Order: sequence, then structure tokens, then C-alpha cells
Amino acid sequence: MKLAHFAVALAIAATPAAALAGESSGGLTLGSKAPQATTKMKNVDGKQLSIADVAGKAGTLVIFTCNHCPFAKDWEQRIVELANGYTARGIGAVLINANNPDMHPEDGYAEMQTRAKSRGMKVPYVVDETSAVAKAFGASVTPEAFLFDKSGKLVYHGAIDDNRKQPDKVQARYLKDALDAVLAGKAPPVAETKSLGCGIKFRS
Amino acid sequence: MLSAVVAARFAVVAGLLAAQPAPAPAPPPAPPPIAVTVAETAAILEAIKAPGATAVLVNVWATWCEPCREEMPDLVRFYREHRGKGVRLVMVSADDEDQAATVGRVLASVGLDAKAFIKSGGDAAFIDSLDPKWRGAIPATFLFDGKGTRRHSWLGPVTYQALRSRVGELLSAPDKKPAKK
Repeated sequence: MKLAHFAVALAIAATPAAALAGESSGGLTLGSKAPQATTKMKNVDGKQLSIADVAGKAGTLVIFTCNHCPFAKDWEQRIVELANGYTARGIGAVLINANNPDMHPEDGYAEMQTRAKSRGMKVPYVVDETSAVAKAFGASVTPEAFLFDKSGKLVYHGAIDDNRKQPDKVQARYLKDALDAVLAGKAPPVAETKSLGCGIKFRS
Repeated sequence: MLSAVVAARFAVVAGLLAAQPAPAPAPPPAPPPIAVTVAETAAILEAIKAPGATAVLVNVWATWCEPCREEMPDLVRFYREHRGKGVRLVMVSADDEDQAATVGRVLASVGLDAKAFIKSGGDAAFIDSLDPKWRGAIPATFLFDGKGTRRHSWLGPVTYQALRSRVGELLSAPDKKPAKK
């Protein structure tokens, strides 16, 4: 995908100063560009990818997740379905594991490869090897979604939906609604949400 | 004569018995599980803000969460030392609603006899009611004063020293207004 304008927009935000400018204690603020956008991360296929590399024509979805966390596991299939489905519609997507596998061996690279295959991931699942990307985003929990519009601005930050345990009883599909809005060139109906999750096990 | 023989035999048997290793003592019975209530945010807030405490600690955790389990000894120690000084502890588990028995057993196993809940219902209102700056990562611990005003948040594992410092400050001057952040 050749998206020079979007990649440039993201790359402008790749400096530490730009990363800090939009970050609050609750994570990146709405309207911010993706920080660390040109930082290369190892994908499950062995290739090095950055957020700018996967940027989509219509928008870009970044989700911090991991293998071991029960919250992330409960939402995993929905995350994969959304990422796979919207990638086909022009949204670039990447799943990022920033956890230190020394704290949870299940979060290691080999298990990421296994998980990507068994879940049918068609989007990159990459390792944030120093947790620098997660820290720059102000991400603190897994799973945590950040959706950027076609101009590269953050327009949605938060949860996947409002019911982790019972997909059939979800009432608010926050991320899906935000993705649909971005595709339609509109602002997401809900821009920020929260959910309980596992704290990211940052690498020091 | 007969009684002497019986006595001698008894002495021999008693000696043999005394020479046997004592049977291993039975393991102590598991402590009874703590009562755990499945409740939505409003009921949990009611327990936090109920009168009668000078300081209320709210710990959000889960049985499978390793950092949560690792901080528990510090929480237990602090609570035991300060529960008679006006400290209330409210444990809120993020476990599934059908795990009340497991949650109760884990709390009992570490000796935490505190008010205990499993949170049900939506996350966002619960998170914001404890601290709008919290994004929901567990473990997290919050300190409220006796009037229900939040005084401090530990977003991540908490330690005995940190609890002693912040809660001690509140206990010594409960009416002192918190510094604006």
C-alpha cells in the first residue's frame, strides 16, 4: 500500500517531542498523530514493520494486545475479525504486543506466531521490543485500541465493545462504530471508552 | 503374680508404642471462604462511601492476575495493622461472575477478611467512578476519605510503605483538604 501522504503525516509524529505533545496520563489525546510511527517492529512472519508501513488509505487501527491476558483472550476473536474485515476496506491495522515475556512466557514471540496462525490473523502482529511504542502512545492496558482517520489524527481510543464475556450480548460496538464512521469520513459516535484489562508488562 | 505379668506386658507394649514415630499432624483446615457479592457499580460505591471509616482502600484485582496476588501480602499486613484505626478495605474482583467461590477462597487463603465484590455491569462507569484518569488496568488501588472523596490512586501494584505513607497522612489529618493536582 503506497500511502505517501499518510506515512509522512505519521512520520512527522515519530519524534519524541511530538509523541509527548499529545500524551496525557490517560494515553494519547484525540487529534494526535501516531507517535513512534516509523519504529520498526518484528512481525510474526519475521519481517520488520512500522505503523507507517501498515497505514491505510482510509485510516489506521493500532491495538495493543497480548497472548496471556484473559481480557485480551476474551476479545481476541472479535479483534481479529474487525482487523481482518476492515483491512479489506482500506483501514490499515496492526496488533502490537508490548509485554515483557519474562513476566509471562506465553507472551513470547513463538506463541505470538502460533496465536496468529490459529486465530487466522491477516494483519501484522508485532513485538514492541522495548515497549517504546506502547509508552509513547500512553497505552496501559490490554487490549487497548487507537484508531486514526485518513489524515492520521486519533479519532477513537479505548475498548473493543461493552461486553467482554458475552459477544452475543454486546450493546455498544465502540470500535466497529468508530471504524464505520472513519470509512464514511465522519467522526466516531463515541470517541473515548474504557474497559478493565491487564496492565501492560512494560520492558524496563 | 498375674497382675505383675500384665503390668510387664503393658510396659513392653507402651515402650514399643513410644518408639513409633508420631503420626504427622493433620493439615490445618482451609479457612472458610470470604463472602463475595456480585454487584454493579452503585452497590460497590455504596460500600465505599458507607459511614464509619476514616480511610477506605479499594483494591481492584483478579484471581488470575499475578501482580495482584503479589501485592496482597502488603495489603493484608497493612489492613490488619490499621483496620482498628478506621481503615476499611473493599476488594473488587474483575473475575467472572460465576467465580465467587474461587474469589472467596483466594481471599481467605491470604487472610484478607474484607468486604468483597465481583464487579458486574459496564466497565466505563465503574472505572470513572474510582478515578477518571484510570484506564482500567489491574491491579489498581484507590484511597478515599471518610466522606467519599478520592485522595490517591495507585495505578499498578501497591506496597506496604506506600499505603502507610498515604493512609497514615489521611488518618492523622482526616479533615485536611487534599492538595489540588
